[in-house]
Amino acid sequence: MRKRVSGFEVFYLSLFFVVLYLPVLSVILYSFNASSSTAQWSGLTLDWYRELFRDRVIGQAFLVSLQVAILTALLSAVLGTAAAVISLAVTKGMQKTIQGVMILPLLVPEVALGVSLLVFFNGLGLPFGHLTLVLSHSLFCVPYVYIMVQLRLAEIDRSIIESARDLGATKWQTVKTIILPLVMPSITTASLLAIAMSLDDVVISTFMSGPRTTTLPVHIFSMMRVGVTPKVNALCTLILVGTFFVIGLNQVISKNSKLRGLSD
Amino acid sequence: MKKPLLSLVNINKFFGDVHVLKDITLDIQQGEFLTLLGPSGCGKTTLLRCIAGLERIDSGDMLLNGVSIKELEPNKRNVNTVFQNYALFPHLNVYDNIAYGPRVKRTMAEPELQEKVAEMLDLVQMTGYEGRMPHQLSGGQRQRIAIARALINQPDILLLDEPLGALDLKLRKHMQTELSQLQKKTGTTFVYVTHDQDEALNMSDRIAVLSQGRIQQIGTPREIYNNPVNLFVADFIGDRNLLEVEVLATADSYSQVKLGSRIINVRSAAYLEAGQRGMLAVHKDKLRIAAEPGPNSLAGTVLSVHYAGYQIRVEVQIEDAVITAVEYQQSESDYQVGDQVYLSWDDHGAILLPMEAGSA
Repeated sequence: MRKRVSGFEVFYLSLFFVVLYLPVLSVILYSFNASSSTAQWSGLTLDWYRELFRDRVIGQAFLVSLQVAILTALLSAVLGTAAAVISLAVTKGMQKTIQGVMILPLLVPEVALGVSLLVFFNGLGLPFGHLTLVLSHSLFCVPYVYIMVQLRLAEIDRSIIESARDLGATKWQTVKTIILPLVMPSITTASLLAIAMSLDDVVISTFMSGPRTTTLPVHIFSMMRVGVTPKVNALCTLILVGTFFVIGLNQVISKNSKLRGLSD
Repeated sequence: MKKPLLSLVNINKFFGDVHVLKDITLDIQQGEFLTLLGPSGCGKTTLLRCIAGLERIDSGDMLLNGVSIKELEPNKRNVNTVFQNYALFPHLNVYDNIAYGPRVKRTMAEPELQEKVAEMLDLVQMTGYEGRMPHQLSGGQRQRIAIARALINQPDILLLDEPLGALDLKLRKHMQTELSQLQKKTGTTFVYVTHDQDEALNMSDRIAVLSQGRIQQIGTPREIYNNPVNLFVADFIGDRNLLEVEVLATADSYSQVKLGSRIINVRSAAYLEAGQRGMLAVHKDKLRIAAEPGPNSLAGTVLSVHYAGYQIRVEVQIEDAVITAVEYQQSESDYQVGDQVYLSWDDHGAILLPMEAGSA
């Protein structure tokens, strides 16, 4: 039986989506606006995109962001997965402790985290740049990997791991041949999430950026001080497209892993 | 006596404060089908996991071919387990599941492995299923693959943890026969855990009955069925009437007991002093109902008759006690409620046991 949708429900949902997505739509629209003012519409143009690609500083910032995001995702994936797998082998009490410590960075306000990292890296004498950015971004990405991998691990029947040991696998072989393949979809999803969060971060990156290593969001923020140019609209549109691409990629990956029977 | 394949010596195991295995001592012979039988929570699965190395024992020792294995990791023990839920690797196909053991242990080159896997699939009648994923198989098929995956390692002992528990009744009966045949064909020693007495009686060479972490009795199915050593085993195995009696005299493993106002002679499992109370355990299916009195028979009145297909259950009131007798279709008996009848049994039909259930 088909459900009947009342007029009010359609109206409410439409309003909801309009409010939610209108700002996003307007950014995309104005990135093609020939006038440099948002007050008037004076025809279609690709000028702002041309100008965007000519801007060496933005290009540089984008490259830094991308490098940092990918390195952050890799580092977080390794650390988060390792923590989740290790917490399989320890006592329940120990497991709780690990979980608490892992999730803590998510609860600390970002500004406090940024200041303390600044003081800490300064004390260590580390130069601010790629290294500090990757380390600090990993700090808030590792918990997500840990949580997602742990949720997947909890779904795996303990006797599957036990039977690997029973059949002759060492602990390391069990991790390599059974545990990692079974949690791989979660690691992939978590890594994509880490990329998104790293690309998105402003607060901590502001503290961690070096003189020649500014991330894209930090640069956009500083551009805003002199006013919104349509160039920023064009940039935001490209970021949106990139985001949708990543989301789509993740959908395809998780669908494939379902087809391969990983999720039963 | 032959040297045992596996010796369990005074094994004790605790989970926190709970004493789950108490002084387990047991010898398992090469090629034998031994069943650990008991109600849930009796420690049978824990004992199996201890042998596999998935649990550590707190005291005692475990000797496989005379060598202690209690400190060895599970992958260093030449025993393999078939888990209750099969525990097939969901991301590997049937071939890779079966090949897993030899691959991680690097015991075979790939051509030899191929031959071996084919041989195992043939053994469990699953040839042609190499490429299937576990989720594409039925419960019975997964079971067969789990067995093949274990047997390819040529274990000294195959441990089976309620492997038929998840199957429906008909398939369970079929798999019982198949498992027995497989055990005979391969000559592998089986240690089988179940709570199902029919399964245990059907398949085993010997049964160890466990309750509350202790072995209550070890023996052949016939011994366990006919000569329980205590009340727990008498109550758990077979279908018995338990009647409280007063012991008048005991001699040569026979006792004279008083049931209500009647005095009868019965086999006795232990020496019971005159004047003690005892429990008479009478097999329901070894009772005979007759219209005329015979030697050692008890007079009573038919209380009820339940017709249940191939068997008829007759409840008979004898003074204060109610005894159930099971008659099979071939007997021509046709008793009505209120009839005066006489119950009797052969020597094997009843046994006198001490009062306290042997589960200290």
